[in-house]
Amino acid sequence: MKKDYKILALKILAPFVAIILAAFISSLIILAIDKDPLQVFYTMFKFSFKRIDSIAMILFNATPLIFSALAVSIGFKMGLFNIGIEGQYLIGTFMAALVGFSIKGLPAVIHLPLVILAGIVGGMIWSFIPIFLKVKRGVHEVISTIMLNYVAYSLIHFLIADVFRDRQQSLVEGLGSVLVRTPKLAASAVIPKMHGFLAFFGVQLPKHVYLNWFFPISVVLAAGIYYLIMRTPFGYELRAVGHNPEASCIAGINQGRIYFKGFLLSGAVAGLVGLSDLLGYFRYMDMDFPRGYGFDGIAVALIAQNNPFGIIASAILFGFLKRGSEGIQALLKVPMDTIVILQSLMIIFIVVITKIINDYVKRLEKREVA
Amino acid sequence: MGKAVELKNITKRFPGIVANDRINLEIQKGEIHAIVGENGAGKSTLMKVLAGLYQPDEGEIFIFGKKEKISSPNKAIELKIGMVHQHFMLVDRFTVLENIILGAEKKKGFTIDEKTCRETLKKLLELYNFKLDLDARLEDISVGHAQRVEIMKVLYRGADILVLDEPTAVLAPQEVDELFINLRRLKEEGKTIIFISHKLDEVLSIADNITVLRRGKAVGTVPADSVTKEELARMMVGKPVLMKLNKTPAEKGEVKLSLRDVMMKGHGGRNVLNGVTLKVCGGEIYGIVGVEGNGQKELAEAIIGLQQDYDGDIKVCGKPTKGLSIKQIRDMGVAFIPEDRHRQGLVLPMKVWENSILGLHRKEEFKKKTSIDIKKAEEFTSRNVKGFSIIISSIHQAIEGLSGGNQQKVILSRELSQEPIVILAAQPTRGLDIGAMEFVHQQLLEKRREGKAVVLISADLEEVLSISDRVGVIFDGEIVAEFTPEETTLEDIGVYMLGAHKKAGESA
Ligand SMILES: Nc1ncnc2c1ncn2[C@@H]1O[C@H](COP(=O)(O)OP(=O)(O)OP(=O)(O)O)[C@@H](O)[C@H]1O
Ligand SMILES: [Mg+2]
Repeated sequence: MKKDYKILALKILAPFVAIILAAFISSLIILAIDKDPLQVFYTMFKFSFKRIDSIAMILFNATPLIFSALAVSIGFKMGLFNIGIEGQYLIGTFMAALVGFSIKGLPAVIHLPLVILAGIVGGMIWSFIPIFLKVKRGVHEVISTIMLNYVAYSLIHFLIADVFRDRQQSLVEGLGSVLVRTPKLAASAVIPKMHGFLAFFGVQLPKHVYLNWFFPISVVLAAGIYYLIMRTPFGYELRAVGHNPEASCIAGINQGRIYFKGFLLSGAVAGLVGLSDLLGYFRYMDMDFPRGYGFDGIAVALIAQNNPFGIIASAILFGFLKRGSEGIQALLKVPMDTIVILQSLMIIFIVVITKIINDYVKRLEKREVA
Repeated sequence: MGKAVELKNITKRFPGIVANDRINLEIQKGEIHAIVGENGAGKSTLMKVLAGLYQPDEGEIFIFGKKEKISSPNKAIELKIGMVHQHFMLVDRFTVLENIILGAEKKKGFTIDEKTCRETLKKLLELYNFKLDLDARLEDISVGHAQRVEIMKVLYRGADILVLDEPTAVLAPQEVDELFINLRRLKEEGKTIIFISHKLDEVLSIADNITVLRRGKAVGTVPADSVTKEELARMMVGKPVLMKLNKTPAEKGEVKLSLRDVMMKGHGGRNVLNGVTLKVCGGEIYGIVGVEGNGQKELAEAIIGLQQDYDGDIKVCGKPTKGLSIKQIRDMGVAFIPEDRHRQGLVLPMKVWENSILGLHRKEEFKKKTSIDIKKAEEFTSRNVKGFSIIISSIHQAIEGLSGGNQQKVILSRELSQEPIVILAAQPTRGLDIGAMEFVHQQLLEKRREGKAVVLISADLEEVLSISDRVGVIFDGEIVAEFTPEETTLEDIGVYMLGAHKKAGESA
């Protein structure tokens, strides 16, 4: 009985305990580079929360991670590990860019959905390959998705640098060289910012903030996925297969079909990961298009224990870490590399500590059940 | 002779239920002590307290006269208490040998000294007359053999107090006899054995003393030679129990399930099914008996469509089922109660209500637009819980928290709820108390009266003989003999089960 409350408390507290412990361990590293940890954390908070535009930036940072972690969590729910979000979103982003720059003259109400759809399809194509190999040939999805990430990197490189490279860029004054990138996307493919909407509520965002409608979309999607997994027959089957494939099979659930549908869904969501950056910020895809969202998404999903709403929260935490470290870099003159190390360490600590606590909780539960 | 175990006022609560309510229990050194009680009475919980898996909320434990706190299973082993669980805790991919020595390996430097382990084990096996292939993979052996592995595990760790939670549920009568010979020998060597069973005959024949639990409380301890089966049953239930079934004469209908020359190859290329031919009619219960591992599992899996790799024909209501999906076969009206409930019947981490609609979750009655109508599902579950007297604290608890018998009842209530035409029941009463067992028998007879075809695969000969209309003995993947219960005896069937002589071709 007592233990039950303990389990519940631990479950809820796990991420917070993890954050505090991670902050503590990071302090040692900050001390090692001769800075005052308290001052660093204070700066992070002040920089992040003092101004409304900073909060908007955090949400902008969180957007791709929400999509990415949702995609990962769908895989986890059915017992599969989709490490291929990385490749899936790069392919999706490229497909979206392709539709974005090659079609001209469409009204935005048609063009923008089409571009988003292209992103989704791209992600699905790249997730189809591993799941096809798994269901038909028994290839483990971890191996195939990892390999496909590399294929995606090279393919994107080839497509951007050789096939679709924009060779008609006018040189920006002062800059000597042109970017290796696709042509600019048509204006009709751009996702609107949230400035107008928020101004309606009296919140004024400055121009350099890129928070766009993908953030609310990601939140709605999280709710939708929660509904899908917890309420619909499909989600029920997904969870059943994830926990016990054999019993599910005997109950008449077609495991292969669930794997297919679930993985394609995961890929579809992955296809949205890069779109906030593409359609709301860069408006072209270049060689340096942000990478790593796929892997960060795994961390976000782990911390949130695959709960869609938890994912929103932990993605925002990641967004804050990124924003906050920009702050210490700017205000405390800590070198960029140190910041990157610090940020990664925070992430690792949080993931590891949450994992340890969760395992402990599971052991407690197991013992109750055994 | 002193006391091996003394429990004083042990209380263990789970959310919404008191599993053990101030239980006092004394177990003498060197005795065989049986614990009986209905499903959910708290037997397993009490034993888990003793084995260090649960911490009691209140109470004291004395082991060999010394007060102890059994804080973990390791501590229990230190105190020489070893438990064989109702549900096996073995690693599928490991061999028998690896499973037994897991966690207690003898080392040679940094590596496992397999040779010494093997020697030790061989000696133990010989000593207790256990037949086990040490190199077989666990996933390839039958439930009966897995049980032996569990017992060996405990012996290998040098336990002096053995706790066996329903060890005989999975054994054939001959194996039970063998086990009992072993247990008596262990007793002679001074080991103390605590033994849980629902089979009162067994309990009366092996135990020295019997403790009865009822709804979490210890009702009393009696010497085995001073009670009758009826008295025990009354102590367990709290009121007199009728131990009689009213079996009306069979009204045979058309053939609902037929198998012709079904052959299937197993892992090693050996035939696990060797040309099974049988017909089951509506309004009839066809019992299949045999020693575990003679093809019962494969037979059931072929009928339900889990195994498609067979030669020969299987027809349900005259329609061949080969190539159909499990769902299609189920939709034709085949209900399946698998023998391994944890692996095949339930999704343990999911809730009771979720498990009770497993496989029915796509049914129109549980649909509300795009989602599952949780309210309807809950109502359905509550009806089942009532109808089958399933003891739970909430239909929202994970099903892994239910007692073994109650988990089984969830499966039964689910599978029997859908007006099936063919009911394929593998060990449906395994782990059920006498009351529940009787209830299931009545349910099966009721289905038979409604004109359904029932295939009852069971290791419990008495059960099969008491409710079946025909009995097929399966040996080595073949139905070697077929009887009506009237024309045979337990001994007769036992002989066929061991394959002493085949009686093929004599089938009715
Ligand atoms: N881990 C758990 N969480 C919640 N409830 C539990 C847990 N373990 C057991 N219970 C409850 O405690 C009661 C006693 O269960 P226990 O397993 O001891 O019964 P049992 O006598 O072994 O029954 P059976 O004959 O069916 O195996 C049951 O009502 C069960 O639901
Ligand atoms: Mg039990």
